[in-house]
Amino acid sequence: MFHNRTEALALAMPAAIFAAIVFLVPVGILLSEGFRAADSWTLSAYTGFFDNELNRVVFWRTLKLGALVTAASAVIGYATAYAIVTLPPTARGRMIGLVVMPLMISPVARTYAWIVILGRTGIVNKAIVGLGLSDEPLRFLFTETAVFIGLLQLFLPLMILSLISALENMPKDAVPAARVLGANWLQVFLKVILPLTKEGLVIGGTLVFTGSLTAYITPAILGGSKVLMLETLLYQRVTVANDFAAASIIAMILMVMSFSANMLLKRLATARSKR
Amino acid sequence: MLKTLLASSVALAALAAAANAADKKLVISVYGFAQDEFKEIVYDPFKTICDCDLVVETGNSVERLAKLEARKDDPEIDMAVMSTHDALAAARKGITQPIDISRLTNYDKLYDIAKDPLGGHLGVGYTFYATSIAYRADKVKIESWADLFQDELKGRVAFPNVTTNQGPPALYMLGMAMGNDAADLKAPIDEVASNKDDIVTFYERSSQVAQLMQQEEILAAPIGRFSWGPYSKMDMDMAWATPKEGETGGMNVMILTKGAKNEDLAYQFMDFWLSTEIQTKLAEALVDSPANSEVVVSDEIAENLTYGAETVKNLKLLPPDVILDNREAWLSEWNAKVGQ
Repeated sequence: MFHNRTEALALAMPAAIFAAIVFLVPVGILLSEGFRAADSWTLSAYTGFFDNELNRVVFWRTLKLGALVTAASAVIGYATAYAIVTLPPTARGRMIGLVVMPLMISPVARTYAWIVILGRTGIVNKAIVGLGLSDEPLRFLFTETAVFIGLLQLFLPLMILSLISALENMPKDAVPAARVLGANWLQVFLKVILPLTKEGLVIGGTLVFTGSLTAYITPAILGGSKVLMLETLLYQRVTVANDFAAASIIAMILMVMSFSANMLLKRLATARSKR
Repeated sequence: MLKTLLASSVALAALAAAANAADKKLVISVYGFAQDEFKEIVYDPFKTICDCDLVVETGNSVERLAKLEARKDDPEIDMAVMSTHDALAAARKGITQPIDISRLTNYDKLYDIAKDPLGGHLGVGYTFYATSIAYRADKVKIESWADLFQDELKGRVAFPNVTTNQGPPALYMLGMAMGNDAADLKAPIDEVASNKDDIVTFYERSSQVAQLMQQEEILAAPIGRFSWGPYSKMDMDMAWATPKEGETGGMNVMILTKGAKNEDLAYQFMDFWLSTEIQTKLAEALVDSPANSEVVVSDEIAENLTYGAETVKNLKLLPPDVILDNREAWLSEWNAKVGQ
């Protein structure tokens, strides 16, 4: 289309410069804040951040909940996606519509619904007491369990959709062939389905993990200050202490966590296919 | 001919008025809440009186304070309203200047505690609120701040986070109930820490508490009187505690920026806001409790406000310098003991 590379590059320049100035430069400035001392560059803010016990607790909690939500959504996601792709086309369309529907509702509304559902007088506790599993209503709200449930419900559709598209691209006779050759369902999953759908798992896993790390509303509403996560800690540092240095450190940690998760998942996927 | 002349002179007059209004501009910085009511009761009537333009900037205290500091040498904001401790922080940063009270005709009508809460006339109180405990009178009895941790309330009580405006005053009163009113709040923070598993949540927004109460998740929580409205309307036996240690609370003040470009308008605006008429209207709209002692409201309205000389006299407010000097220490103490 273009006569040469230079011409193409020249045409792309204005947009690239614009993006660099209004996006990359501010992000760079924000992130550099964490490395800046009075008149030199240092890592001390980062080591200082991890010296604080509360920050360590919050970091591990964020990592743990992110990993748990990703793992749980993968397990539920595979079962749901497999059930959906084996349906006839009309029913499949309807089911996919049902999966997508929650994504059209504001996360705030979805999260608030959990406050009612998980409350002392909510449906879950009524069932628990009604079935005689406990004499007293259990406390779910403002615990890690509540945040886990909220995040799982928030991001599960993303995993299911990624896996549906991966499963649809899988050869239709792969599973029956494996079954005919005597593989049990676990073997079918581990040796046939998983290797053939790993791309979908990597995409879904990255979306869910990154989403869980960076979600603010759900941990803020369902966890509150008793279950601080990195995002809610970031908000607290900025609004209470006007501490932008700590905020930039947390932002950097979140970015590193997201990139590492994506790389790790990709590595796992390629390692499996080489075998 | 006459018609044309009349029309053109009207147009000219309108143009002149517009130009005049554009010449005179007052820039204020306020909290983001109840702006519709403020527009109707304060801003629009003031614009008519002053024949000037009024620019309103809103945001939370931290944002607004940061902005004022950034424009310290060339302030665009003429006056601002803040909590007493944020106003003192602004004063210490050299952002504000003392208010010449002789230019406020309504100054003498203010309750004594609102007249000079920061010292040196660095701010004038325009509203305050009591903080006490809202509770279910049919389930528990609360006569002291220490009753928050009674057996009946285990797993059924919420407490304000130390980062909120209600947090430190509530801790201070808890300390008083324990016989320790030291400003470091160590004793009450220890007490909260030892009961933290029995506290449902450390809330950050008062609206959240109303929902938890409605859902019977909690039976008691310290709250500000300004958020009492929804509780009194609940179909439950709600009560406002009068603990034997007293009620605490907070106050908001008006400040004047140093080098304000429209000082005269700022004084005119402050005086207008403090007038009996405006303070009454704001009280009747349940926006702000009046700092003007001449304001008279019905019992029904008073019920939802921090109102009356007796109530005001008995408020045990944390001095702003105590809050400002200890805030960071409280937060780290809290994070170390309660936050995990």
